[in-house]
Amino acid sequence: MSFRHLDRYAGVPSPVTRLAPSARVLATVVLALAAALLPLGAWPQMAGLTLVVLGIAVAARMPVRVLAVRLAPPLVFVLLVSAALPVLVPGTTVAHIGPLSLSDAGLLRFGSVLGRALPALAAAVVLVSTLRFTELVQALRDLRLPRAVTTALGLAYRYLYILTDEVEQLQRAARSRNAGAGAASRRRLLMGIAAASLGRSFARSERVHQAMLARGYRDGIPALRPQPMDRRSLSALAIVCAVALGIAWTAHL
Amino acid sequence: MAHIPDGFLSAPVLATTTVASAGALALAAHRSRQQLRDRQAPLLGAATAFVFAAQMFNFPLGAGTSAHLLGGVLVAAVAGPWVGMLVLFSVILVQALLFQDGGVTAIGANTLNMAVVGAGVGYLLYRWLRLLLGEGLRRRVLAASLAAYVSAALVGTSVAVELALSGTVPLRPALLAVGGSHLLVGLGEALLTGGILGMAARLRPELIEGAPVTRRARRWAFGGLGVALVVAVGAAYGASTRPDALASAAGSLGLAAHSGTWRPLAQYSGAGPWGALLGVGVVFVLAWALFRVSAGRRPA
Amino acid sequence: MSVGRPLVEVRGIRYGYPGGAAALQGVSLQVSAGERLAVLGPNGAGKSTLLLHLNGLLLPAQGSVLVDGIVVSEATARETRRRVGFVFQNPDDQLFLPTLLEDVAFAPLNDGQPGPAAEARARATLRELGIEHAADRAAHHLSGGERRLAALATVLVSRPDVLVLDEPTDALDARGRRRVVDLLRGRPETLVVATHDLAAAAALCERAVVLDEGVVVWDAPLDRLLAAHPFLERHGLMAPLPDQPSGAPKRQA
Repeated sequence: MSFRHLDRYAGVPSPVTRLAPSARVLATVVLALAAALLPLGAWPQMAGLTLVVLGIAVAARMPVRVLAVRLAPPLVFVLLVSAALPVLVPGTTVAHIGPLSLSDAGLLRFGSVLGRALPALAAAVVLVSTLRFTELVQALRDLRLPRAVTTALGLAYRYLYILTDEVEQLQRAARSRNAGAGAASRRRLLMGIAAASLGRSFARSERVHQAMLARGYRDGIPALRPQPMDRRSLSALAIVCAVALGIAWTAHL
Repeated sequence: MAHIPDGFLSAPVLATTTVASAGALALAAHRSRQQLRDRQAPLLGAATAFVFAAQMFNFPLGAGTSAHLLGGVLVAAVAGPWVGMLVLFSVILVQALLFQDGGVTAIGANTLNMAVVGAGVGYLLYRWLRLLLGEGLRRRVLAASLAAYVSAALVGTSVAVELALSGTVPLRPALLAVGGSHLLVGLGEALLTGGILGMAARLRPELIEGAPVTRRARRWAFGGLGVALVVAVGAAYGASTRPDALASAAGSLGLAAHSGTWRPLAQYSGAGPWGALLGVGVVFVLAWALFRVSAGRRPA
Repeated sequence: MSVGRPLVEVRGIRYGYPGGAAALQGVSLQVSAGERLAVLGPNGAGKSTLLLHLNGLLLPAQGSVLVDGIVVSEATARETRRRVGFVFQNPDDQLFLPTLLEDVAFAPLNDGQPGPAAEARARATLRELGIEHAADRAAHHLSGGERRLAALATVLVSRPDVLVLDEPTDALDARGRRRVVDLLRGRPETLVVATHDLAAAAALCERAVVLDEGVVVWDAPLDRLLAAHPFLERHGLMAPLPDQPSGAPKRQA
């Protein structure tokens, strides 16, 4: 499992990466929120918000093509999930696909869901491409999420790699024992691996806890390079908020 | 699966679910800190990584089907409801922000569904069922399994309700589609939770300990079951003798057939919604009381 | 540091794990500054348990441990852990943060050092061990040997007086073991090493303490121990095999 290139553009110096991580995370949330606030059928505003996100991507020196490629899978997922809407929502029938009838209200919702999801997803993709995991954890800490959660996330990164290495080892060991020909035994094998991993994860957390204590851990991991909200980040955030929420507001006029 | 993407929920629903889940999380953070102190972070981290990995996994069930694990009851059974909620929240957070699995604005709603209902209420169900079923490793695992099933169904229901309250999908089709599919998902969840927990507990029995089952607590549990049944029967009887209240509630929730546009919860009329609220309230008070009694000396 | 007083003093400690047999049944020993002590014994003898008492990760049910004259307790944990650095058996248990730099800077940050100072100290330690190039990498991108060095760095950064190591050559090949031993030999710290690897112990330590079933059965120079073959056998130890010449072992005709 490799998440290595998720943050490919985090190391690229740009006006975006120079901003405080907490500002960037908040901006993403605001953009998604503005999209969520759009009423049904607010097509110009949906396009407007998407353009704003595109602008941010360009400022972060992230190629639009890359953005599109990374955006595709979650967008397709939303498409598939919302495909039921034209059928499920009652309204005046507009078209037929075989035995299914598509309603106008349903199509409107379908389009609106996609239109809202697009800028929100794009904002999230830009964020993850330009933010290091460590910076994300720091941002969440700055945003006052429970300290247990942010510390745990910082630890979970390594835990995940160790866990997957362990699972691979267990799978290899099982395979070399020629375990599991049929589906039932394969299922038992996987569940056994999951069960073993569960127990080992808890045992490991005890040992890690000891290692943390041995190095002076008390409550929360102090940040190595804290990038607190500075004036530049705050202004950038304010601008994004104003633009995004302004666009959303125009849709309600 | 249960992760709601951006764009499906309306602003009021987003707001209320976010506030509700934030409150629950704050409580969970406080309680788990009391319980675990400085063990909290490494334990949460390990459990988060585990659940995250498990959710990504496709467990073949045979006959060409495969199941995904939500993990709420699994974590709660091993580490308690507070850790369970925090873990699911962390997973939802990472999935939304890093992998666009689940919307950023929907983090509050998804947390309410999967963490608070899935793990938190799932845990209550687990404890209740444990009291009903009695001692022994097999029965505990069975309790977890059943609780996982019901919690999956409840998760589906809350997703459906949120979609309906947002005006995206009317309640009945939402319940049928999302709730119904979660009844199936629940099977996988029950199988996986029971299977994994059973095997893990055999290796390390201390994983599934928890407070011992006392006769007094068992009596409460059966009493609670009885009350719940009475409430259910009473509600059904009441519904049958007061069709007007039910009809107005149904109408306002979009259950009845409409020819044109429909307005979800556009107006409240009659006692319908208040009766539902009261019923939910009674169940919650009951569950809370049971939890306090059964938690007794040692939290799980 | 006063010359007369031992740096580490263990006075008749008893410890039993909850629900298990007594792990330490009255252990006493003293370690002077600059000494190198090997703690040997069969599995379950209590080696790790003893080590965990040296920095207060475990507190004895009876008896006491003193580090530089300070009684090890909850209250003095910070003081004692500054002086006693603990290197755990599994490096992955100690490398729990997303990057190596963060792991090594963890201890100084917890000790209250500001970010830049902690980072400078961390980099200096990594440089000292020859792994500064990996500072911004995650631990799972390092080789096994590098990971051991990294784990060592996380402890050395605090400049402890005493280094406690639990199986430092565990799962290493001959070259790796050689490297670890050579590295430790060149260091000024007082060493307490629990190990099964008698060859490494012989190369590194001049004094040996043998534990068996929770009591000290030997506390004397190591070379004398290696010559006492019946004693070794009686307490589940194996004398180090002479190094095999390279190539397949000669078959018996």
